[in-house]
Amino acid sequence: MSTNPEPQNPDETGEAPAPDPLADVRGMVQACIQCGTCTASCPNEFAMDATPRRLWRMVLVADWESIVSSKTFALCSACYQCSLRCPRGLPLTEAMAALKRIGNRESLPANRSGNLFYRNFIRSVRRHGRVRETEFMTLYFADMKNPLLPLRFAPLGLRLMGKGKIHIQIPSKGSGKLEAIFAKVEAMEG
Amino acid sequence: MRRKIGKALVVGAGIGGIRAALDLAETGYGVTLIDRAPSIGGVLSQLDFQFPSNRCGMCKMLPMVERDAASQFCLRKGLFHENIDILTATELSAVEGEAGRFTVSLREKPTWVDAQRCIGCGLCRTVCPVTVPDDFNDGLSVRNAIYLPVPHTVPNTYVIDSVACNRCGECIKVCPTDAIRLGAGLRRGFRILVVDDEAIVRESLRDILDEEGFDVSAAASGPEALESLDAGAYHLMLTDIKMPGMDGVELLKAAKAAHPDLIVLMMTAYATVETAVEAMKVGALDYLIKPFDPDALIPMVVRPFEQLQASRDRRLDVGAIVLSTGTGYFDPSAGKGNLGHGVHPNVVTALAFERMLSGTGPYEGRLLRPDNGEPVERIAWLQCVGSRDIQADADFCSTICCMHAVKEALLVKERYGEAVACTIYYMDMRTAGKSFQRYRDRAEFEQGVRFTRGRAHSVSWDADGRNLLIRDVGLDGSCREESFDMAVLAVGQRPAPATEDLCRLLEVPTNAWGFVQTEALSACRTQRPGVFVGGATAGLKDINESVIHASAAANLASRAIHAAGGGIAPEASGEVVYRDVSRESAAVLMVLCACGEGAEKRMNADALKRRFEKDPSVQQIAVVAESCTDTGWDRIAELVAGGKANRVLIGACHPYAYIRRVRQLGAQIGLDPSLIEVVDIFEPAWAAARAGADQATDGDVDPVLAQQSTRIEMALARLKHRDPDPPPAIDVIQRALVVGGGIAGMTASVAIADHGYAVDLVEKEDRLGGNLHWLNRTLEGESLQELRDAVTQQVTQHPNITVHLGTEISGGYGQVGRFITTLRDAEGAVQTLEHGTAVLATGCREAAAQSYGHGQHPAVVTQRELEQRLADGTVDPAGLSSVVMIQCVGSREEPRNYCSRVCCATSLKHALTMKENNPDIAVYVLYRDMMTPGFAETYYTRARQAGVLFVQYETTAKPEVDFGDGGVTVRATDPILGKPVEIAADLLVLATGMTPRMAPALAEAFGVETDADGFVAEAESKWRPVDAIREGVFACGTALSPRSVVESIATGEAAAQRALRILDQKRLPAGRIVAEVRHSLCSRCERCIADCPYGARVLSPDEDRILVNPAMCQGCGSCAAVCPNGAAVVRGLREKSMMETIDAALAL
Repeated sequence: MSTNPEPQNPDETGEAPAPDPLADVRGMVQACIQCGTCTASCPNEFAMDATPRRLWRMVLVADWESIVSSKTFALCSACYQCSLRCPRGLPLTEAMAALKRIGNRESLPANRSGNLFYRNFIRSVRRHGRVRETEFMTLYFADMKNPLLPLRFAPLGLRLMGKGKIHIQIPSKGSGKLEAIFAKVEAMEG
Repeated sequence: MRRKIGKALVVGAGIGGIRAALDLAETGYGVTLIDRAPSIGGVLSQLDFQFPSNRCGMCKMLPMVERDAASQFCLRKGLFHENIDILTATELSAVEGEAGRFTVSLREKPTWVDAQRCIGCGLCRTVCPVTVPDDFNDGLSVRNAIYLPVPHTVPNTYVIDSVACNRCGECIKVCPTDAIRLGAGLRRGFRILVVDDEAIVRESLRDILDEEGFDVSAAASGPEALESLDAGAYHLMLTDIKMPGMDGVELLKAAKAAHPDLIVLMMTAYATVETAVEAMKVGALDYLIKPFDPDALIPMVVRPFEQLQASRDRRLDVGAIVLSTGTGYFDPSAGKGNLGHGVHPNVVTALAFERMLSGTGPYEGRLLRPDNGEPVERIAWLQCVGSRDIQADADFCSTICCMHAVKEALLVKERYGEAVACTIYYMDMRTAGKSFQRYRDRAEFEQGVRFTRGRAHSVSWDADGRNLLIRDVGLDGSCREESFDMAVLAVGQRPAPATEDLCRLLEVPTNAWGFVQTEALSACRTQRPGVFVGGATAGLKDINESVIHASAAANLASRAIHAAGGGIAPEASGEVVYRDVSRESAAVLMVLCACGEGAEKRMNADALKRRFEKDPSVQQIAVVAESCTDTGWDRIAELVAGGKANRVLIGACHPYAYIRRVRQLGAQIGLDPSLIEVVDIFEPAWAAARAGADQATDGDVDPVLAQQSTRIEMALARLKHRDPDPPPAIDVIQRALVVGGGIAGMTASVAIADHGYAVDLVEKEDRLGGNLHWLNRTLEGESLQELRDAVTQQVTQHPNITVHLGTEISGGYGQVGRFITTLRDAEGAVQTLEHGTAVLATGCREAAAQSYGHGQHPAVVTQRELEQRLADGTVDPAGLSSVVMIQCVGSREEPRNYCSRVCCATSLKHALTMKENNPDIAVYVLYRDMMTPGFAETYYTRARQAGVLFVQYETTAKPEVDFGDGGVTVRATDPILGKPVEIAADLLVLATGMTPRMAPALAEAFGVETDADGFVAEAESKWRPVDAIREGVFACGTALSPRSVVESIATGEAAAQRALRILDQKRLPAGRIVAEVRHSLCSRCERCIADCPYGARVLSPDEDRILVNPAMCQGCGSCAAVCPNGAAVVRGLREKSMMETIDAALAL
């Protein structure tokens, strides 16, 4: 099936690398009956451009272009409500995670901000054994290359700091200790 | 009634069990009908209104011929049939033997009230201090510990809920007949040993169980417990699992080794539940999780106690067993429970809602909010609760809930109109049955019921907890929350309670969800020969299907008994010759029951005696104590024998309870039982006693006495004028005609012929098999070609079946018992047949495709064409890359506004076949509502898993097809994406559904009515689903309505069974109350013919007079009412008797 106005078969558009990147995700959601329970369960649904149900439908019809331009899966907070309630028992949170991985691997423009956020969060964790908010946000701002962005986050940062939720500098006890784990994972994932 | 050798056991006395029992009983078999519940009727005792009439009508299942063998009153009140022995509160406890020769053991559970003595006066209820939620009203009302399990049955015998009962004994004090057996002493005789290392648990358990009246001892450890067990005879041990030294499981093993009969209950903390389950495998009865509520403990102890009290097993030889154990329901409070059931009182199940609409329900039929009793204004029905939900282990559809919800919404709309807004949340509205779609359309377009496609996600409530908020997602993707007063949950089916035990006992396999697994290609056969299922045991069904399957199961059971030699010779029973009293004037023996000591003073014997002594027709008046007991009856028999009375009037209680006794008495004293009548003279006294009114003492104005006199006087008036002649009968030609040689017709032919009757099978084509010539296999993968060959062979080789190929019916006339039908073969040769009944199995054909370019483009085919091409290899899935299937082509909209039931399953079958042969093929199914009721739902899941893509469409935006540059392009809108989609297809398959092939001339020859779509109109879609309106004519297969091969087989068996009721007798007795014509007064205006609802009257051209077929006449009296000359009269209800009865009633 193709969706109008133009065919979006990934093989035809040539944008998607072969083999079908969605095969795994499709396998997870194939038995979907479009009942919408996932969407009604989702606490972040209000912010999503496509509801979870519509996202699964896009996966089923291989509407690659709509998927890559959607931020829906980046907004999944992995609360597992949808997985818990799905009458088909589908692993929806895993499917969201799989889409996040595809988004990361393919560096999708719609997911750039989210990908950089996750990537720098992990960089900080890898380095110190836990996240250092100031370093993490600095790295993120640097990658985003948007001079106005720090200003947008400033009020929130100050409020969090005032409540002692984030710190300028915390003593790093675990520096480098997680390196071996990360290296191993990288080696395993190729 | 004559009786054959051979008996059957029917397990479950719901609608299916009753149908199966009646079908067997009407053909002369002895039937034992048992039910676990203390009453009969099953779930239908709770349901007052049925689709499509929105009324009841269950009584229409009662025998129509030989009516006097059975009760002729509301079937929801009770059932009597000469050949049926009904045992309530009884379970099957063992089965030995094989088909034709089973020996079964039946165990009766104590109800603590002696059913022989209880007269249902209800005084006990007025003094019972205990109230508990009433299951009959799904907990919406309360009842006492002594209660009526069903409020409207007769005889109305009370039972005691021994879990709730506190054994205060108040009821015993007021019971006038000494019917209550609380068994206080029995409990003291039930010895329990409590084993726990913690003193506090031990002591509290001892106190709780002691309070309950049991004999309790305690032990602190395993060894101590074993010592106690050896020292005294214990019945039950309640033991902890985790104990120092010897743990509970070791104790269990040791105790069971030494005392195999000991009942053991385990107690455990959450952490050791697995151990407890293990313990059950080595002999523990059950387990309790600590900390536990005494309310959970008591039933667990009471149950084995009651089991032990159960009277000794009754053993019975039966030839076949029919299971009709009904269904269980999903508990919506369990599991995720996000629908508020059990939390907010306004969330109820569909069954509870039905009770709310009932006059005997919690609010006497008014629609009130359970939380505050205010009127309801907005109701939501939520479908698929515990159905089509893999997380609730339910990869099946529960089949009936869609129509149940539509019916409930319509009932509300018909009563309250605009005042109540009704909304149904559904995923697929499964209107897969005859006239279901039009019923739904009526609800939607005429009555304004709102249908919302979407699965309700959750039910919460607003801040003050008053109104419910239902959350779901619209098709546009928006999350919505709407406020309602009530939510009605369509709870899904689960196996009936104890199905697992029953199947283990019978060695019958269950399916993945615990329902009875039937054999391939049969809806009613189980793996064990001689054991059949009817009703909902093998999966929930609506009444229509339950009744069809029950009749089919009865037919299979009858054949099993017959094959074992049980049906051949009638049982030798001394034919009773009644005294001829037709020339004597009425001489009535009046017997007044003095009941027991407690009731004696209430029956005013002396006053009644004084009053009726003067009546010239009363020959003698006698007072007999406890007339319902054997001693009482013997006394009555003596009185009749000693006097010259030719009528007996017994003033007692519960006339219905005396039906069998009256017949026995009649046989004993040689008096026709219709001349013996029982009248209830106690009810006025009990009503006064329940109301607390003392009997008036100032003589002549006693209202109780006045009512008692009236009742007796009315009965006297009826009895005096009763016709003592024997009922008329008709001659039966014991030969059947079956029209149509498809699977249904062939099945019906064999099912009749197997009983030894000759069958003529007429087929228009020059070969047997009908649609099975192109249908290849079923959704489940069974070969239909093999089935066709096997059944064709059975038919052609059957000594009792004559096949007429290439032959059509050219005309016919006659009535039940004797039809004369003319056949004409291809050469024009004419032959006339005489037969007693006719079975029409004229079938269906695939409807012609008239849209989507069928016939214009070679890639557009119908389902039938695809089935044939897949079979002969002209369509090879390996050579296709994209296939589109469009459902409901020309179906489910006017003029063919019905669902053909099989097309969705067929599409799934084809899609799965193609995916199997070529996993890369893209298959798209464009559907309106996928109709995969029951376990067909799993194939819907499988198809999705295989990658078939389903796109829903509405009739307002049907798919479009065009054929640009050679290929087929299908355009539709995907409702979830909200976008148009375009599919290039190599093959387009159209599901066009079925159209009936009954020729009008054929229908006319048998006087059969057809519905607007050309299907045979049943006498009653629910209660007589394979009977035509005309007695003696039956229909089966797709001539009735669209259905699958397996369903067609079931209808064939059912129709055969219905025909056998008539074929089984050379002379068929009619009912005693039938219409007659006084020919000298008749002006032949024929108004009575037009008004007879049973078509029992004809104008005989030869004799020029109106004739009544007594077997067809049901004695309704329409003719008598419409006759301008008083020429139409009803025997047994003559004017004089009616008028005198009315006079007596008004003389109050």
